[in-house]
Amino acid sequence: MKQLHRHVLSAGISLLLVVSASAVRIGEPAPTFTATDSSGNTQRLSDYKGKFVVLEWHNQGCPYTKKHYESGNMQRLQKEWTGKGVVWFTVISSAPGKQGYVTAAQENEYAKRMNASPTAVLMDQQGALGHLYGAKTTPHMYIIDPSGSLIYNGAIDDHPTADQSDISGSKNYVSAALEQAFSGKPVTTASTTPYGCSVKY
Amino acid sequence: MKAFLQICPALLFVLGILAQADSVSTQHAKVELTSDVANIKPGQDLRLGVHYVLEPGWHVYWINPGDSGQPPSFKWQLPTGFRAGEIQWPLPERLSSSQLVDYGYKDEVLFIVPVHTPANLNNDSPVAIIADAKWLICREVCIPDRTQLRLSLPVSSSAPKSSADAPLFNRAKEQLPKSAPKQWKTSVQSQKDDFVLNVNAGRSLRGVMFFPLDPGQIENAAPQKAVSTPNGVRITLKKSEVLSKPITTLRGILEIAGVAYEIEAPVSSENAQK
Repeated sequence: MKQLHRHVLSAGISLLLVVSASAVRIGEPAPTFTATDSSGNTQRLSDYKGKFVVLEWHNQGCPYTKKHYESGNMQRLQKEWTGKGVVWFTVISSAPGKQGYVTAAQENEYAKRMNASPTAVLMDQQGALGHLYGAKTTPHMYIIDPSGSLIYNGAIDDHPTADQSDISGSKNYVSAALEQAFSGKPVTTASTTPYGCSVKY
Repeated sequence: MKAFLQICPALLFVLGILAQADSVSTQHAKVELTSDVANIKPGQDLRLGVHYVLEPGWHVYWINPGDSGQPPSFKWQLPTGFRAGEIQWPLPERLSSSQLVDYGYKDEVLFIVPVHTPANLNNDSPVAIIADAKWLICREVCIPDRTQLRLSLPVSSSAPKSSADAPLFNRAKEQLPKSAPKQWKTSVQSQKDDFVLNVNAGRSLRGVMFFPLDPGQIENAAPQKAVSTPNGVRITLKKSEVLSKPITTLRGILEIAGVAYEIEAPVSSENAQK
């Protein structure tokens, strides 16, 4: 078992080395991935070619995530954009034993209670997807366009606080980017510094 | 009045209390508003400090929190004519956890704020100072917290006396970044993936670490490649993945063997150098 553990660990580390060499860049193809969602289905990025895909890094116990869920802001975004055909993946990269780690059942119960409506919740307990994209905070948002290129990487909005009262006066970068991309315009603010709690790899 | 005070220890005791502040117990920290002086002399500037004593393992953040987190903020309620300056941020620590690096403070930190006092202040009543403090405190878990801190300082026309916390201010002052010596020359060359920071100090520099003042310019967790040169040091800093526009200046703190220097280096692109 110890041997196996070490083996897994070294595999994890070599993955990280590969990942840090291939940074995600705006305008370049977003790294492809395969992940398991909280319903047990396999989700492949390549299956969604032709659609916009949003990645939302998530941790239900993080005060910055709570800001956007307890206010209903994140659910509004999910509802609005999935309603327009966007694929929305909520991603949980907390490792087992770390803060924010949840089982699929716990996540499904939470999503139901919060009226969240992402396309799927990707269970990334090994952190592979998080490291592949270099996700730093919860929330940390990415947008991939129908051709598979990354068009946004960064914060959810321009108020890096945990206060719900700041949301009404904030510029939401995800909506702004999707609105521009939907009307065929280039995204003016394509990368920002994400804010929130650290991802608990 | 002086004679009266001398014969009235009880009143002295009361005044002593007035000049003190309460330490507030918050989640995983004790927070106190304090000053470097025990009394205010009208027109003479003073320094206030918000002092955090943190439980082991917990930290609060620098002005640039790094990959995650949020710096503390203080909203001042001051009498007419008083003006609070900006927070003087001490040298932070690199706090790393699984490929992420934050900048902040563990154990204990004093955030100093210089305060201007008006010349026309009467001596009759002590000055009440209130700070609405907001901060984020993290270990593995992060907790946003806030409290109201109060300090009352007597006014007198005599020279301000050092407060009991003056040594705390003196220690904290040593942690504040100094202006870089005038003869230093700093410049940054912007390459495809890196910024190369050149510091010419007229002597070889070792044990150097850079702390970026502006978020989103460099990858905080990337190893900083520092090479000592006969006249200083050259540090290679990986560009941030979210950096989308060229920058004209790289601002930050250079820590050299525990001493912090403020630097502001002009950035030139590879092409411009040719």
